[in-house]
Amino acid sequence: MSETKYEPLLEVKNLRVEFDVRAGVVKAVDGLTMTINRGKTLGVIGESGCGKSVTARAILNMIPKPGKITQGEIIYHRRRTKDGQAQIDDILDLTKTDPDGTTIRSIRGGEIGMIFQEPMSSLTPVYTAGAHINEAVSLHHLTPVRKVGDQLAEQVMAHRKVTQQEARVIAIDMLRRVGIPKPDERVDNYPHQLSGGQRQRVMIAVALSCEPAMLIADEPTTALDVSIEAQILDIMRELQESANMAIMFITHNLGVIASMADEIVVMYMGKVVERGKVLEIFKDPKHPYTQALLRSIPKLGNKTTRGERLASIAGMTPDPFNLPTGCVFHPRCPMFMAGKCDRITPSWKEVSKDHYASCLLYEEV
Amino acid sequence: MAVAEQPISVPTPAKKQQVSQSYWSLVWWKFKRNRAALVGGILLASMYISFVFIPEFLAPYALETTSEYLEAPPTKLHFVDADGKFSLQPFVYGMERKIDVKTRSRTYVEDTSRKYPVSLFVPGDPYKLLGFIPTDIHLYGVDRKGDPAAIVLIMGSDALGRDWFTRVLYGGRLSLLIGLIGQVLTIVFGTVLGVMSGFYGGAIDQVIQRTTEFLSAFPEIPLFMALAAAIPQYWSQLTVYFMLTVILSFVRWGGLARQVRGLILSSREREYVLAAKSAGASDSRIMFRHLLPSTMSHVIVIATLAIPGMILAETALSWLGLGIRPPLTSWGTLLQDAATVRAIHNSPWELWTVPFILLTILAYNLLGDGLRDALDPYGAR
Repeated sequence: MSETKYEPLLEVKNLRVEFDVRAGVVKAVDGLTMTINRGKTLGVIGESGCGKSVTARAILNMIPKPGKITQGEIIYHRRRTKDGQAQIDDILDLTKTDPDGTTIRSIRGGEIGMIFQEPMSSLTPVYTAGAHINEAVSLHHLTPVRKVGDQLAEQVMAHRKVTQQEARVIAIDMLRRVGIPKPDERVDNYPHQLSGGQRQRVMIAVALSCEPAMLIADEPTTALDVSIEAQILDIMRELQESANMAIMFITHNLGVIASMADEIVVMYMGKVVERGKVLEIFKDPKHPYTQALLRSIPKLGNKTTRGERLASIAGMTPDPFNLPTGCVFHPRCPMFMAGKCDRITPSWKEVSKDHYASCLLYEEV
Repeated sequence: MAVAEQPISVPTPAKKQQVSQSYWSLVWWKFKRNRAALVGGILLASMYISFVFIPEFLAPYALETTSEYLEAPPTKLHFVDADGKFSLQPFVYGMERKIDVKTRSRTYVEDTSRKYPVSLFVPGDPYKLLGFIPTDIHLYGVDRKGDPAAIVLIMGSDALGRDWFTRVLYGGRLSLLIGLIGQVLTIVFGTVLGVMSGFYGGAIDQVIQRTTEFLSAFPEIPLFMALAAAIPQYWSQLTVYFMLTVILSFVRWGGLARQVRGLILSSREREYVLAAKSAGASDSRIMFRHLLPSTMSHVIVIATLAIPGMILAETALSWLGLGIRPPLTSWGTLLQDAATVRAIHNSPWELWTVPFILLTILAYNLLGDGLRDALDPYGAR
């Protein structure tokens, strides 16, 4: 699967995440396999609720309460520099780590950073009142006034032993790198004094301040307008090049993914239905779901489609408690083959070089 | 463009431009428009200063100073003497004790032949101001060096001949401090347990919430009595005092814990908690650095409004003889002195404690109400 020049950073193997809720068990992620390579961008696309965000959370071992990783492994090729020089390669299964332990906590933020869907509320709002009383309450905690800069500083301190002044310098530098004007003034601003785009940049700066080997961007630009979105994407690309950082880019915006990703994973109802290089997927989608997704992109100035209705995928996403038998996409599939698709679960098939699809069309049954 | 007919004032560029008002300046701006709250706050501040820090200076006598005037009524301040002569400086007459043999009661009459001017900053019993400045100057008093029988008792005296006003001042120290210290302990218990309860949920939440329910369902006075009775008799007075503070806050943290829990329940689902977690923050860091600060304005208000209850509880306990015991003086022990029919009949001035307690509680309530409005500066008026 991975060529020699592709060096795997994170291998997700047959991952299954289940949510045991009152109404039944939901398989949010079912048998997911993917590889994220060092310095490359993996795009994850799919409809809302298909398990993209849960996958991201699973990588950091942060599945919310009723959820559980019931199967599979997430192999993280940890590379640490010890005493400045020696590189220690270390293979770690993230699903086996204690979710509250020090190992995963040092990986979170330190080695795998994450940017969230809601940039607007991802910064802790400031309560100077709290900062004061907190000091009295938690006597041993040093409580600096929590400003944007301090949120950065806090993270830097959690992973590197730096002094407050050094942390501040790093904070200002990071803000400059993500393109915030007047970073030495902005560093003292509270989140409510920043615009949405600035907050998102601060989030990115927070995530990147420890120079992680990988960044998980969970719909980082969904809440932003297109011009800011373009700027943010530029910043991410720049920083990826300068730090050789892998990015797992989760989105349902196909345009964004086309410009960002090296490889693409298409998810549907917790399963990967197709994966391959970005060009392959966009030029020659194999799975009917991917084909339908790409058809639903509105095209400007295309004479042949003028006056037509925008293509959409028929039907609704199935009830997660009662997933269809066979191929989960079969009730909505335009290429539905009666007697086959509703009975046989498709397996992986390499349809062309490094391009995999999970569809009975490419299997001989 | 408008023609500049009038001189246009060019705004001088501020060195550092303030983007917006800080939260606390908004709070203060709103708070100071509330007169009642301002009065309450100033009243409390002056009470704490005078009762906690400088009662030795304000009181004309030391707490232990007894006199021969037992259960003497308040001495009258005079400006005009028997001859009709006016003096700007007030003075008191000496007191003559008379004992009615039939009714066995004491009465005091003024002896107009002895006149003692009351002056400010007079030397008296030596003490240490703020605990370290040795001095003997008192705010007011009569010169006792000239005539030891001279005395001024603006609120009368008790059965041992001690100045009641002095006792009220010293009693205020313990009573006001127990409210404050107890409330600090309550905030510690309440917020820590409330945050944990809200953040972790599950079994921890159950245990903490059921405990608060148990404590709040229990009748307070018997619970206090049981706990206070558990304090060994041989402990020093100070230890007993602090144990009492701990007991008071132990019984009262539940309400605060519930409120904090409610606030945490709503804010723990916010994205920034997730962001903090994904940045590698530990649970305790998330709880106490990211979640707790947002509840603080709420906690301040609840705490301010709960301090009077604390003071009253101490007073009630001491009045029952379960709290602070003599020779320590608190408003509760002073009330206990005045609790008998005999005391009310013979020395009604011993009820002077009551207005002080009422004033304190009123001031706290005014301040708390004002804070509640002010700490939400973005809210509706």
